[in-house]
Amino acid sequence: METQPKRILIVDDEAGFTRLLKLTLEGTKRYIVKEENDGSQAIMVARQFRPDLVLLDIVMPKMDGGDVARQISGDPLLKSVKIIFLTAIVSQKEAHAGGIGGFPFMAKPVSLAALTEMIEATLKPE
Amino acid sequence: MVAPSSLSTTQPVKILLVEDNPGDARLISELLAAHTDQFQLQGQVDRLIDAEHAVEHDGVDLVLLDLSLPDSKGFETFEWLLSRGHTLPILVLSGMDDESLALRMVHAGAQDYLVKGKFDGPLLIRAMRYAIERNSAEQELAKEKNLVRALLETMPDCIYFKDCESRFVRVNPAMVKLFNLERPEDAIGKTDFDFFLPEHAGQAFADEQEILRTGTPILGKVEKETLPDGRISWALTTKLPLLDHDGRIIGTMGMSRDITRMKQIEDELAAERNMLRSVIENIPDPIFVKDADGRYLLDNAAHWRSLGVPTREDVIGHKSSDFFPPEEAAAFKYDDDRVIASGQPMENHEECVLDANGRRRWLLTTKAPIFYPQTGQVERLVCIRRDITQMKEAEEKLRAANAELSLALSNLKEASEQLRSIQLQLIEAEKMKSIGRLAAGVAHEVKNPLAIITMGVDYLESVGPGAENTTEILTEMRGAVHRADNVIRGLLDFSAPRQLEVSEESLTDILLHALMLVRGEMSGQDYKLVTDIAPALPPLRLDRMKVEQVFVNLMTNAIHAMEHGGTLTVRAFAQQITGVGANVSGSASEAFHAGDQVVVAEIDDTGSGIPEAKLSKIFDPFFTTKPTGKGTGLGLTVTRTIIDLHGGTIEINNRPEGGARATVMFKV
Repeated sequence: METQPKRILIVDDEAGFTRLLKLTLEGTKRYIVKEENDGSQAIMVARQFRPDLVLLDIVMPKMDGGDVARQISGDPLLKSVKIIFLTAIVSQKEAHAGGIGGFPFMAKPVSLAALTEMIEATLKPE
Repeated sequence: MVAPSSLSTTQPVKILLVEDNPGDARLISELLAAHTDQFQLQGQVDRLIDAEHAVEHDGVDLVLLDLSLPDSKGFETFEWLLSRGHTLPILVLSGMDDESLALRMVHAGAQDYLVKGKFDGPLLIRAMRYAIERNSAEQELAKEKNLVRALLETMPDCIYFKDCESRFVRVNPAMVKLFNLERPEDAIGKTDFDFFLPEHAGQAFADEQEILRTGTPILGKVEKETLPDGRISWALTTKLPLLDHDGRIIGTMGMSRDITRMKQIEDELAAERNMLRSVIENIPDPIFVKDADGRYLLDNAAHWRSLGVPTREDVIGHKSSDFFPPEEAAAFKYDDDRVIASGQPMENHEECVLDANGRRRWLLTTKAPIFYPQTGQVERLVCIRRDITQMKEAEEKLRAANAELSLALSNLKEASEQLRSIQLQLIEAEKMKSIGRLAAGVAHEVKNPLAIITMGVDYLESVGPGAENTTEILTEMRGAVHRADNVIRGLLDFSAPRQLEVSEESLTDILLHALMLVRGEMSGQDYKLVTDIAPALPPLRLDRMKVEQVFVNLMTNAIHAMEHGGTLTVRAFAQQITGVGANVSGSASEAFHAGDQVVVAEIDDTGSGIPEAKLSKIFDPFFTTKPTGKGTGLGLTVTRTIIDLHGGTIEINNRPEGGARATVMFKV
């Protein structure tokens, strides 16, 4: 069954990482990917791009991932957008304990397989 | 004055005839003419006044005096001529056969009394001869008497004669004066008991009775005389038996000289000598005098007791070798000889000897030559010793105590070094702990590059070799590896153990460098920086890196305390501690003393300050007011440890005008 490719927005201040991730995810031919390196611009970009899912970094200089997630969740246009946190600072112990603010997350570094699995799982209708 | 002559001389006797009757004169002249070999009529005068002149000028040996003269009659004639002061024999010729007048004349000094018409030539010649001889003997006697009288009258010594009952029969004026009498007669018939207290009078009486009994004189006896008025006088007395013509003892005579003054001087000298003697005797240090042969001449009690002998007599005349082992005695002799030979004293010479009980004694000895003023030679030496055994032993103990003390000190230094090393370890431990706290931040720095690498590997794998952007991807990955490497390297640098490396540093430079390091922390918000660093601060001995860490930490704390911006003030100045509590706080007054020169650095912020409840804990280990991952990683505990290691102080207080102030003080 051929489905519509899912739209993914990557928000991370690490430009090298976002570019590579975009290339990789697009290489699967299943996703349309947009990258954004400035947390404070994320909500505006998301309103235009209308992603199905946001891969969100936590530690960013101007606006961190938590604030971005709160804005997205609180936005009427974007409230159905799924969020996965991608973070370098969370320890394995915290990862096992559960998500951050109810959102699923993954610790960097992450393999493509694990990431796509998590993306698919998150996007699967309830 | 004409000396009385004797008939033994060969010169004829020169006669002056004083006769106014020419018939009588002629008669006498004729009588003498037959004896011109013996008698020569020198002249004849009529008047007494002429007689005086002739006696004085014509060298007359005898006067034939007629009592009836024109200018004088009878006894007065003789008396007048006699009173002229000469000693010529006078033979009176008188017309009056008056026995009582004749006796009176002879008694008064006339040699004979011849009645005119009743003598012939031979009688006159004999009378004149006798007159000459008698007068000569009388004059001799008179001379003797005069000598004795002069002796008695003028001699300042007391002279007396006593009878067998010790009664005075004659005393001289000196004695009259001693007895406070008016005339010598006042003493006659009295005894010493009338003039002296019984103790002396009794002794004198006994002495005199002994002389009377034995005839043995007492010569040069010193007597103490106590007079009734309380005066005490000393007399040097000689008493002899008084003999009569037949050699029988009829009394005593004596002479005593007042030697009170002499006695006083003698007593004073003796007292002085005794005082010196007793001073020497009572000095607790042994003192002795030796002669050139090394024999003890005198010493004090401390000396002979130190030799362990029972009396001084056991020492005087002996030598060191009689009391000390040969080696010690030889050493003493060497010193003695050197002092005497050189005339130079040996001062404060430390000697170690064994005492009478075999114990080791330390002596501090001074030996000095004694010069004899007459010869200028050194024939004796005086030595004084002080027993310094106790001092020496105390010195030994002190030395031992000092050694112990320096050992303790070195132990203490070692302990201090250990403590220091432990403190350094604590700093390291704290750093490690801060590394733990930093882990989250480090993770972020390292995991991002790792994520890139992982993602790159996955991508390259999925696209296969020869893909269009492989080179770009690989560059990205290499950059990520480099980044990760840098982060790890920085972490290693930070955690590398470091000793306290002190050198002369400028606190100004350190503060400015620290400011530069924290400047990044102040970007983004509205921060204002005020620096107020006094020029020409004295250099301090500091570990630059560690002190820089301290200020980076304090400044970072200050910046973090001002989340929404504010003013960071960095101040530094030199100050002299004037007194405890005067211009310094409590902890500084413990570390510094009045007069110390210090350099003070203050870091002020305008934040909300530190809650009072937390103020007392801010230096406690593991205490923090910040979320994990914030700060430099060096806690205030370690900050304080670093400052302690430098001997400085740190205090953090809230400023009255708001915000906190960190005050750091280093001693110059």
